[in-house]
This record gives sequence, C-alpha cells and structure tokens, in this order.
Amino acid sequence: MAEPTPQPTFFQRHEFLIRRLHSLSGLIPVGAYMCVHLMVNASLLNSPASYQKAVYQIHSLGSFLPIVEWGFIFIPILFHAIFGVVIIAGGLPNTGNYPYKANIRYTLQRATGVIAFFFIVYHVFHMHGWFHWDWWLDNVARPLGGARFAPYNAASTLTLAFRGVVIPLVYAIGVTSCVYHLANGIWTMGITWGVWTSPAAQRRATAVCGVFGLLLLAVAFGSWSGPLRTDPEDARAVEQKMYNAKVASGELDPQQAEHKRASGHLGEETAAAATEDSQQSNGGATKSH
Amino acid sequence: MAEPQSKPASIDSFEVRILRQEAPGRASYWERHRVDYEPQMNVISVLQKIAAKATTIDGRSVTPVAWDCNCLEEICGACTMVINGRVRQACSALVDNLLQQEDPNEIRLEPMSKFPVVRDLMVDRSRLFRALEKARAWVPVDGYYELGPGPRVSPEVQEQAYPLSKCMSCGCCLEACPQYTKVELTRLSGETDEEFQQRKRATYDQSFIGAHAISQIMLFNMHPTGKHEAAARLDQLTAPGGIQICGNAQNCVAVCPKEIPLTTSIARAGRATTAHVIKKWFDR
Repeated sequence: MAEPTPQPTFFQRHEFLIRRLHSLSGLIPVGAYMCVHLMVNASLLNSPASYQKAVYQIHSLGSFLPIVEWGFIFIPILFHAIFGVVIIAGGLPNTGNYPYKANIRYTLQRATGVIAFFFIVYHVFHMHGWFHWDWWLDNVARPLGGARFAPYNAASTLTLAFRGVVIPLVYAIGVTSCVYHLANGIWTMGITWGVWTSPAAQRRATAVCGVFGLLLLAVAFGSWSGPLRTDPEDARAVEQKMYNAKVASGELDPQQAEHKRASGHLGEETAAAATEDSQQSNGGATKSH
Repeated sequence: MAEPQSKPASIDSFEVRILRQEAPGRASYWERHRVDYEPQMNVISVLQKIAAKATTIDGRSVTPVAWDCNCLEEICGACTMVINGRVRQACSALVDNLLQQEDPNEIRLEPMSKFPVVRDLMVDRSRLFRALEKARAWVPVDGYYELGPGPRVSPEVQEQAYPLSKCMSCGCCLEACPQYTKVELTRLSGETDEEFQQRKRATYDQSFIGAHAISQIMLFNMHPTGKHEAAARLDQLTAPGGIQICGNAQNCVAVCPKEIPLTTSIARAGRATTAHVIKKWFDR
C-alpha cells in the first residue's frame, strides 16, 4: 500500500511570506517601538518632569491608546515571538564544531530572542500587571509584585519598582539582549531582503549595525540608570503639581484619571519597597554564609 | 627519501577513531584503530591501511570500514566526511596537518550527520542532488531544431559566474548549516521502490533546499540562456523549503572547499526573490 505523499502544512506553504513578515515586524514596528520606548525612558535622566511630560503625551491618545498598543506593539511582538520560537525550533546550533563569528552571532540571535521573550513577559507584568481588571490587579498582580507602574506618577512609581539588586540586574540583562537582538537582526534583515550582498558590503553593514547597537545600548543604560538616580519623594511632588495643573485646566477628569495614579501614599510604598530591600539583602547575607 | 619538514616529532603511529554503522537505521558506535605513521598521508590512505588491517586497537578482527571516494584531488566531492568535528574531503585532509594543527594523538572520522548513513562513512546524498533538480541547475538547450550560437556572456558576468560554477556538490555547506536538518525516511512494508522514491522526493522537496542549490540558481539565472527559466527557479526559492529557511549563520561560505561566495549568492537570491514576489503580486 502506498503511503500518501506528504502534503506541506499551512506554515510550510506560506513560510516565505511569514518569514519576511517576521523579519519586517522585528524592525517595524517592534524595533522602532523599542527605540522610542528607550528614548522616552531616558528622558528621566533630564528630570522627572520631562519623563512625566512624555508619558502624559503618550496617554493624551486617551481611548485610542489601547488600539495603538495592540495594533503596533502587542500583536506585532506576539507574532514576532511566536514565529521566532518556530524558527528557533527549526535550527540546530553548532558553534561547538564551527566557532565562526557569524555562526556565534546566529546562536546569540536565538539565545537573546528567548531571553527577550521572557524578559518582556516579565517586564509587562512587573510594570502593568498584564491585565487591567481591578480584581486581577488587586488579588493577583500587585500581591505578586506586578503592576507597579502608574502613568500619572511615572517617575516615582518606576523608581520604587526599580529597588534592590535583582530587578535592575534582570532589566540590565533583558535590555542588553533586546538591543543585541535588534542590532544583529537589522544585519540579517539586510541579507534576507537583499540590501547588502557582497562580503565587503556585509562587513560594512556589520560595522554600522555594531555602532547602532552600541548607541542604542547607551540609551538603554541611560534609561536604566534613570530610576536609580531619582528621589521618589521629589518626583512625587513634581507629579502632583503637574497633575493638579492638568485637572485645573480641565485636561484630566479626576474620576477617570484615578486608575492611572499611584494607589497608596508614598510613605506606604516606600515602606513596602524598603521591606523588600531588607528581605533581598537578608537573602543575600544568608547565601554568603 | 628526505623527511618532510612537517613530520610530527617522534611519532611512529597514531590513533583513528571512527564512528561506524552497519546499515541504515542501525545504531552507530565508535571504533578505535592504530595506524603506522608514514609521511604525507591523507585520510584516504589512512582508511586504506585500516581496511587492509581490519583489526581494532584491542586486536579484534572487524569488517573493513566502508567509505566513498573517487577523484582523490578534491574535485568530485565523494569522500566528504566529518574529520575532527569539521566537514571536509578525506582526500585533501593531510595527516601531517591534522596531527600538527588539530590533535597530535588521534584523528576522528564521522559520516556527515545531515544525510542518511548507508554504511560507516558512506552517506546517501540524494537529497542534495534532488535539490539541484528542483533548482533546474542547467541551461535548457534540448530541442528538435538548431538554436544557433548562444548569446555572448560579458566578462563581468563571467567573473561572477565562474566561482559559482566550481561547486562539486560535496555537501560541506549543508553539513555545516545549522538550518539544514537531517531527513531520513525508512521504507514501509508493502511500499514499492517507486512509491518509496516518490515519497522521498516529496519530503526532500519540502525540506531546506540548501546553500549549494541557491547558489546554482543564481548561477543559471545570470546565464543569458539559463535566464529564460529564471522565474521558475525563483518560484522554487519561495516554495516550501526555499531560501526563507536560511538563518544567515554563514557557515556554508566558511567551510566551502571551493571558496564559493555562497553568502553573496544567498543575499542576491534574497534580493531577487523580494523583487520576484512583489512583481508577482502586482502583475497578476
């Protein structure tokens, strides 16, 4: 009896298109969004007011913000991540026997993709709690240390969420992975689409992508160091003044704005953060014995 | 006879570790042999000595190790195998270099890992050749009437084409490619030869076509007569198993014994398929 000839799957039949969309989505919108995100966060280096102003600007989209977030951020990232996993599953890294530079970059591209995936999942939980239902936020997200960011208290809540050693370390690794993945991804994208073809052109592209990656890494660590250099109480005072002005001008409706503000008083949050700090340092001390 | 300068100091013999397999689908196992050193040996002469002796290092009598070879001058690709973890031709892998530059104690020989093993170091590379059929790696000139002289090829195109024409279909680029994964089918009970061949071809056609075939497509697409089939070849590059599988690890170009600019071909194929798909979308 004849075995039926294997038929290509939907993914196989459309793999060319899917891979090209995967390649494109890595740059636009995911990569472009990451650049904007890192630059906005780096504005905290200037002042909490600069950062808060940028966040107000983003939130001035109002009820359109979720559409932009889903259309240009979440869905493209999910698409890029899911097909990224499929692509990784189809390869068999062999840097052990073939330790060439481009091959190591190939393996790193996959490793940083996986790190970036877990980091982004954690990051969105840590800052936003994944879902905005009150029940979820109060009973699941906040008790687990998530949903720490309040857009109308941007600098102060970010600063309080960035305490300790572990969280800044996780962010440093995650952001470095993301930046590498984008810079090297642009290089492979240039070959995939046929922009740089000759070895000399590819070498020049490596240099350009390398410089781009280092510059973006500088921006990334600029935004990383922002909350470490910010005093949450000073930031909270500025945020309150900016908020009051927006309410006075009628730009914000205090009723609707409530869920975008920090819930408790700063004193409680600081105390909570301090407890976490001492727990972390105790844990560290226990390990060192 | 004068001793070659490259003779490793004080070596009378060396060990050869071979990954053997009795038949397709059987388990593989390592076997150790000791070979007397002679100056200027290559891996083929090592294998000849091992076959003549057919005795392992611990004195066990074994069947001679099977391997493929033909031209003995790195032109046919038949003796391609994994030597000390790196794919290359056994005929041009010189023992003096292997012992001096890689491992002074032993030489490790394995069959290529991306193709089904026939026996020991012999593999079935039919997927590689099937990819060349899929790629239409020829210039179509067969017909019932005289076609006249072909068009002239400009020196610029000749310079681009010649390096690509040096491909000997050895499979090094495929063995080193992290995106080219092994496809091994076994014949089902009751399946005729023809049915099995057909199933193999269909499965190969859905798997990655490989750097060698992508480069051949670029070679024949730049030939003034071969160009007539350019669209059909580019269709194969966007079909299942096409150029999209490439992950730009660029091992292919690093291991190619003929130094073919495979990654340049891949990037050109990327550009050609981009244009081809856009054209197809908006022209239909």
